[in-house]
Amino acid sequence: MEILNNLLIGFQVAMTWQHLLYAFIGVILGTLIGVLPGIGPVATIAMLLPITFNLSPVAALIMLAGIYYGAQYGGSTTAILVNIPGESSSVVTCLDGYQMARQGRAGPALAVAALGSFFAGCVATLIIAVAAPPLAEVALKFGPSEYFSLMVFGLVAATVLAHGSLIKAIAMVVLGLLLGIIGTDVNSGVLRFTFDIPELSDGIGFVIVAMGMFGTAEIIGNLELKDKREIFTSKVTHLYPSKEDLKRVWGPVLRGTALGSFLGILPGGGALLASFGAYTLEKKISRNPGKFGKGAIEGVAAPESANNAGAQTSFIPMLTLGIPSNAVMALMIGALMIQGIAPGPQVMNEKPQLFWGLIASMWIGNLMLVVLNLPLIGMWVKLLTVPYRYLYPSILVFMAIGVFSLSNNPFDVLIMAFFGVFGYICVKLECEPAPLILGFILGPLMEENLRRAMLLSRGDPFVFFQKPISLGFMVASAILLVLVALPAIRKKRDEAFVEEAK
Amino acid sequence: MKIKSPKDFWSGLMFVAVGVFFAVWAIIYYQMGTAVRMGPAYFPTVLGGLMAILGAIVLASSFAPRAGGKKEKLEMPFNIVDLGIAIGVFIVLGYAAKLAGISNDYGMLAAAAVVSVLSVRYRPETRPLVLISAGCIAYGYLMKPLGLIGATAALVYVSAFGGHEYKWKEVTILFAVLILFSWLVFVHGLTLPFPLCPQFIENCPIR
Repeated sequence: MEILNNLLIGFQVAMTWQHLLYAFIGVILGTLIGVLPGIGPVATIAMLLPITFNLSPVAALIMLAGIYYGAQYGGSTTAILVNIPGESSSVVTCLDGYQMARQGRAGPALAVAALGSFFAGCVATLIIAVAAPPLAEVALKFGPSEYFSLMVFGLVAATVLAHGSLIKAIAMVVLGLLLGIIGTDVNSGVLRFTFDIPELSDGIGFVIVAMGMFGTAEIIGNLELKDKREIFTSKVTHLYPSKEDLKRVWGPVLRGTALGSFLGILPGGGALLASFGAYTLEKKISRNPGKFGKGAIEGVAAPESANNAGAQTSFIPMLTLGIPSNAVMALMIGALMIQGIAPGPQVMNEKPQLFWGLIASMWIGNLMLVVLNLPLIGMWVKLLTVPYRYLYPSILVFMAIGVFSLSNNPFDVLIMAFFGVFGYICVKLECEPAPLILGFILGPLMEENLRRAMLLSRGDPFVFFQKPISLGFMVASAILLVLVALPAIRKKRDEAFVEEAK
Repeated sequence: MKIKSPKDFWSGLMFVAVGVFFAVWAIIYYQMGTAVRMGPAYFPTVLGGLMAILGAIVLASSFAPRAGGKKEKLEMPFNIVDLGIAIGVFIVLGYAAKLAGISNDYGMLAAAAVVSVLSVRYRPETRPLVLISAGCIAYGYLMKPLGLIGATAALVYVSAFGGHEYKWKEVTILFAVLILFSWLVFVHGLTLPFPLCPQFIENCPIR
């Protein structure tokens, strides 16, 4: 019963009043930015990263994790009441949730979304507790060639699951890798691509790139759209779903949780993919698919459970392998590194308080979220009436303070503005920024492991195909690429993303 | 040949240009090394080459007919020349500041101001893009000379001017709230070492 012991350690850590407070701050902030369209968990976490320097590592991770899964709860509120996704992962919730709201059933839709998310959160917490230790055990045996292959697999999976053109996504990953190696080369001490700018000798800060690409770029994009909102604030009356509703949703909640947990673990997965997959699954197996899009409660329950499950299980690769599966996890790794902790399988053994405390806090945070979201729903709805013209200068101020405080250097803010413009251009050209961010954080790691592996194998590139684990990752990457390149599947994938974009 | 997909065309071109740049720069300036002991040029050269190839594929596909024969439209509020001018302004004014012997900071501030004026005057659709970015740049470079209050004012007023509606009163109230919040949370709460008042005011009354 090692797990029980470990969870006990975790709860002892998570139940101290400081950690409860940080979990609470995290989930409140998460719900807040989840409800507000136009600011996502990536930008928020990036904004808060410099501040976490003053916290203990456990408190920092607990708070940042709370923001991510809290955003999944908050995002559904906006999707149901306003028909715009507060969070990208609640895109599909709009379809049926908003229809339910129009039929005067906003209350049950919100309740089912929150309760489904809570159930999924509990299950996903357990999955992490059970699955992470054995995975970390395996990962401890990884050498440089295994790590390199794993990163290749992670990046390939991330591009396959990205929207739009596969080639563009791969090119964005490569661009990220290239940007990542700007700075001093660890092996030779040579300054690479710094163009005699002293600030670049330490490389471009990851937080700065993330804030530019996801923060300022998103604000600029939002300002171009004039918003038209129709809010069903007054219609949230009876909150609790009927018996008949409950009977209809338990299946979708279970399936959504299972699918979401699985998709969350995959590199490149996470909340967005999970919610979309769950919705498609429900529509496929429903006896009466015609009711989807017209206010089917199943269409709210399944994706909302799935996105929360996916958000939480995406912590597994980050915690056990030190490899981010999406942009939020890349930021979490950034948070660990700020604290001087090298992410990887050793974290679990060396810092059990950190690992198990984080897991326990997820369960506690989910409990807080149900309380925050159900009885206090009215408060969040009011927030939606705050016009964007007040919000975005405030967001900008916090981002600018965050970036400036990294090293008190205006150059960082200039770089953020640069990546804001670049991110805006990328969105216009339909190049996804998320793969770039993953590549950016993995760039130096990949080069390091490639060099080590090649040194150990005396320059034999087949080393990646000789060790079984490494070979497995390489084969898996190749299969993924071939699968996506096949015309039949590509068509399906394109259809899937087109539907999502609507 | 006609460009069927401007999005693919420009992104392909961008990937090719950046890829070639990284690869060529690495080959010229850094050591290649061998596969066993990779020099600093090895990884960037391989990646730059890969990116150029991927970019070329995207570029080529932009001439292929689209499915359904639909014409794709690229809604970019500026063209490549505008972008070149904006980048040029930053480089020229940055160097000018260096030559004049004043801090590069003022060069960047001046460049942000020039590009903002150009945008508002000649490319009104780029207003959100340019003014939001310029506001951030102004914030960074004004922090030392003008302190937190001046920098925040620049960011709030400039970025608000990038939006659709601009009301002096509202923005001023917003500014007051934000400066109070920044002061309480960041300077007091998190003890970030930001100067509050402009440099020229000695003995700042607020701390």
